[in-house]
Amino acid sequence: MLDPNNLDFIKLGFHAGLEVHHQITSDRKLFCNCPPILEEDPEAMDYSFFRYFRPVLGEMGDFDPGMLVEFEKNYKVIYFACERNTCTYEMDETPPFAPDPEAIRKGFLLSAYFNCSAYAEEIVVNRKQYLDGSITTGFQRTFICGRDGWVPVNGKKVRVTNVHIEEDAARRVNWIDTSSRTVYFNLDRLGVPLTEIITEYTDVDTPEELIETAKQIGRVLRLSRVGRRGLGSARQDVNITIEGGDRVEVKGVQDLHLFDLLCRHEVVRQHALIEIMEEMKKRDIKKEDFEHTYIDISHVLNLEDGSKAFASVFPKMKGIFGLEVQPNKDFGLEVFEKSMLITGIPRKYQFHSDQLEENAVRNRSDYPCSVSISQKDYLEICSILKPGLSDAVIVVVGSERKAMHCLKKIVERVKIAIDGVPQETRRFVQNGNSEFLRVIHGKDRIYPDTDTPPIVISLDKIQEMTKDLGDRPWEVFGDLNDKYSFSHDQIDLLIRDEKVEKFYDYTETRKIDANLAYKLLIDLPREKRRSGVILSNEIIDTIAEWLEKKDIIAEQISILLKILLENPNFTSSEIKAKLGTRQIPINELEEMILSKLKEFNFVPSTQDERYSDLLVPKVVGVIIKDVGYAFSGEYLVEAVRHVISKQEDE
Amino acid sequence: MSGSENEFDPEGYRGPLRDRLLKDKIRTWSKVSVKKGDAEYEGLLLPRSQHTDDNYITLKVDTGYNLGILIDEETIITEIGYQKGQYKLPHVDVKFKDELPNVTLLGTGGTVASRLDYRTGAVLPAFTPEELFSAVPELISTVNLTPKTLYQILSENFQPEYWVKTAEAIGREIEQGANGIIIGHGTDTMCVTGCALSYFLRNLPVPVVLVGSQRSSDRPSSDGPRNILFAANLAGHQDFAEVAICMHGSTSDSYNLIHRATRCRKMHSARRDTFRTLSDIPLGKIDESGVTWFKDDISPRKPIDDFYVDTKIDTRVGMLYFYPGMNPDMLDSMVDLGYHGVIIIGTGLAHVGTDVYPALERCQEEEIPIVMVVEPLYGFAQLRVYETGRDMLARGVIEGENMLPSAAYTKLIWTLGHTRNLEEVKEIMLTPMAGEITNRESPRGFMLLQGIEKGIDNILKNL
Repeated sequence: MLDPNNLDFIKLGFHAGLEVHHQITSDRKLFCNCPPILEEDPEAMDYSFFRYFRPVLGEMGDFDPGMLVEFEKNYKVIYFACERNTCTYEMDETPPFAPDPEAIRKGFLLSAYFNCSAYAEEIVVNRKQYLDGSITTGFQRTFICGRDGWVPVNGKKVRVTNVHIEEDAARRVNWIDTSSRTVYFNLDRLGVPLTEIITEYTDVDTPEELIETAKQIGRVLRLSRVGRRGLGSARQDVNITIEGGDRVEVKGVQDLHLFDLLCRHEVVRQHALIEIMEEMKKRDIKKEDFEHTYIDISHVLNLEDGSKAFASVFPKMKGIFGLEVQPNKDFGLEVFEKSMLITGIPRKYQFHSDQLEENAVRNRSDYPCSVSISQKDYLEICSILKPGLSDAVIVVVGSERKAMHCLKKIVERVKIAIDGVPQETRRFVQNGNSEFLRVIHGKDRIYPDTDTPPIVISLDKIQEMTKDLGDRPWEVFGDLNDKYSFSHDQIDLLIRDEKVEKFYDYTETRKIDANLAYKLLIDLPREKRRSGVILSNEIIDTIAEWLEKKDIIAEQISILLKILLENPNFTSSEIKAKLGTRQIPINELEEMILSKLKEFNFVPSTQDERYSDLLVPKVVGVIIKDVGYAFSGEYLVEAVRHVISKQEDE
Repeated sequence: MSGSENEFDPEGYRGPLRDRLLKDKIRTWSKVSVKKGDAEYEGLLLPRSQHTDDNYITLKVDTGYNLGILIDEETIITEIGYQKGQYKLPHVDVKFKDELPNVTLLGTGGTVASRLDYRTGAVLPAFTPEELFSAVPELISTVNLTPKTLYQILSENFQPEYWVKTAEAIGREIEQGANGIIIGHGTDTMCVTGCALSYFLRNLPVPVVLVGSQRSSDRPSSDGPRNILFAANLAGHQDFAEVAICMHGSTSDSYNLIHRATRCRKMHSARRDTFRTLSDIPLGKIDESGVTWFKDDISPRKPIDDFYVDTKIDTRVGMLYFYPGMNPDMLDSMVDLGYHGVIIIGTGLAHVGTDVYPALERCQEEEIPIVMVVEPLYGFAQLRVYETGRDMLARGVIEGENMLPSAAYTKLIWTLGHTRNLEEVKEIMLTPMAGEITNRESPRGFMLLQGIEKGIDNILKNL
């Protein structure tokens, strides 16, 4: 196995692409009028029901192979539902309502952001089959808005092949036991409008580029205000391939920081599978060598009642099942995770003979074998199976029907090892490895939705829908860097916090200094958030307004904020009223100013103008507090200057 | 794909776009490239659905998605390949087993097994044995099933003569030794057909089970496969001989209810568990563990000797839904048009307003039977309670007991096929033939969840 920490991605022919799924802001779900709100507790429910699913033919007349594997899993699917966010549509008990026009608009707007050269001029709603139970209909309703766009990534264009709008799937609850045949979902998320943005899976050449691609897409979702915020609103699937490998989709990576780890572990896996392919060819192994012969060896082992053990010989495979394909995971386990998911026999009840070797990878894996087979037992098994010296043996323990089904799946998986890397959809696990989820879904699983007539989108309509197109993130980077020399990270924060529009408003309309505006929009709220205080947009806007009118000066912001936060229910006019409550005679004020000036060691006539420019705000900052904000900052600035000039005149 | 005269026919396309496709010899199912300004599209040209804009093409692109493109004069469209879709389920070899009962499935339409139609974008029934068995392979080990197609129509297009032909086909199958019959039927009027068959099939020796699906079988979540499997079990293996409806009893794929056709009604436009037995409880339920019968008056299987099909009908029967403000001229016009009998769905206990009295009197004079059934659906027509009712009885109307509207309607059609003598009509209408009238009404007949779910009594107590 390659060292995952020391990989030459270019040399290995690494290519990757992204499928970014991001919920979009909306008042309703895509095909019904339920509000898109999630339950805090994913197991919350007012009622529950269950279903089974079967594959159906695509319109080209084929069963999708991925779908047949899904059907083989034979899941019973239990749904949890709450009245407030689920209706008979999510239950698959009523046909869809017309799709949310706002979601359609946002799909076209996003397509414009991604520079799509082709739009869907007539929306055709498609059904994409999912038999895992995550969608009650058994298919996701989805449609294309735009095609053939791009995002700039480190100086090159990464192609955006499709921008889709689709309904989100139900939330999986209780993902603990992957071998269980019963799966649970909460219906709250089902139907929430989602955009899927797909990049060409060969356009990205390094993990760094992959991360930057994801960031660019994320920035568009922020800048366009189309993306819904919050935990779980974004999910990325990563498509990875290396030279000699094949397209593998890894699902469910929420955190960009994990991309690098994920890429490294997948490259290592594909490389190992290619080496196994070459080794099998070197040993002259053919698919026909593997036979579906399962021998009952139950009597050799000490089994629970109702359990049986079946064994099969894998000719010339000795040593191969024990090869490490991902850190602490051998090829045997790679095979077993698939047979487990399809048949429900846990990995720990699946044994391969290489694990009897000293320091076997299997024994330090997350899923060591729990079937107790001593050397003596193994010899007895061999005396029944009579494997050759270079053969391997696999044993599966379970109910008769399931165990035989499991061995069948193992034989099938080993056969295709001769072809190298199988096209699969895999699930990311926290240690950076991945597990088999399903055979990659083909295009045969997509067919038109007969419940929704096509929707004509005229060119005028497209123009209307994309009229909110603003600067793209990469254009904002250029502009803000040119105008204010802001750093990349600074601009990135402006985009991520959705403050770009405000920033332009503050600097260009309100004429607030750019650095001050940045501080107000980014630093201050972030700083306060760290201490557990959320600054509302209204508070920030109020401060900006007072800054614009010169009611206050920058130095007063933090004191002012304190007052605002202590009186969170105050409206700006109330605060202003409070500012104006204490009347101080002018002569009294001037005396206060004078004494403060003295505290700051002010000596008339000895200071130059620059010094007084520095001094004035300092004094104002202190005085304004002392006077309980009875005077505006602007007024005080004038007053201080007046006192200074009076002193100098004297 | 039906309706294509030749392989160059651009299916479903109309107007100038069709002419252009024909001229350029661009076929549906061909791979085309479409260039339009900066935009380029490549994909399969799919047949076009009816009732859609004439100027667009439907394209299936590389990812399998479909989308539409407006074809204007500047658009360049070229054919670059051809791949016709073959919508066909894999072939299944079926051998009959001696130990299994023989069941005939008569398809009349509906969505138990069906496929997409590109003309209409809708679902067409598909009822070859191959299609059925590959969609529901478990059927093979349940019964020896012979599927036959009677019609391929949507159930709203049924006519009384279709009931007759269906009954006659059932008769033939039973004569030829079928141990049970399944009727695949659209769910909209399934109960009406079920009622008619209940009167036509006299001394029925085997089960006749009507079945359909509320989610068409082109969906992975379809209720059709389970419905037909349970129907096959009922028709082939169970000891009863009635016309029954077997559909989901719950939104879950947990059990199906077995309804007596004459007491059954579709109560929701879309749900799986739409069918309910009214004013009574269902005959029973069926799930993976078998059948649980709830009723003890179920007709058992019997020798075929006394079985006959009696399809004498008179279709000059109409049905009026009385509502406040209904002009009596509606009933008058039915008399003028020569109707031989009318079912009136009356308010409450089966009343009509006093302004309808003259029209009732006219029917009485012309010896046109008027049968009253109740708008609330549950409960009996009882015209002796209030003055209005007694006035109506005096004008010769027949109290339809607790017949459901469709049960009364089909029964009057059958009855008038045998006699137009008012007294005889009344006697037949009021004599229970197939459970359409119950002598007593159990309190459980009006329970929301059919009164059979576990623990429902407690739930109701605690409400």
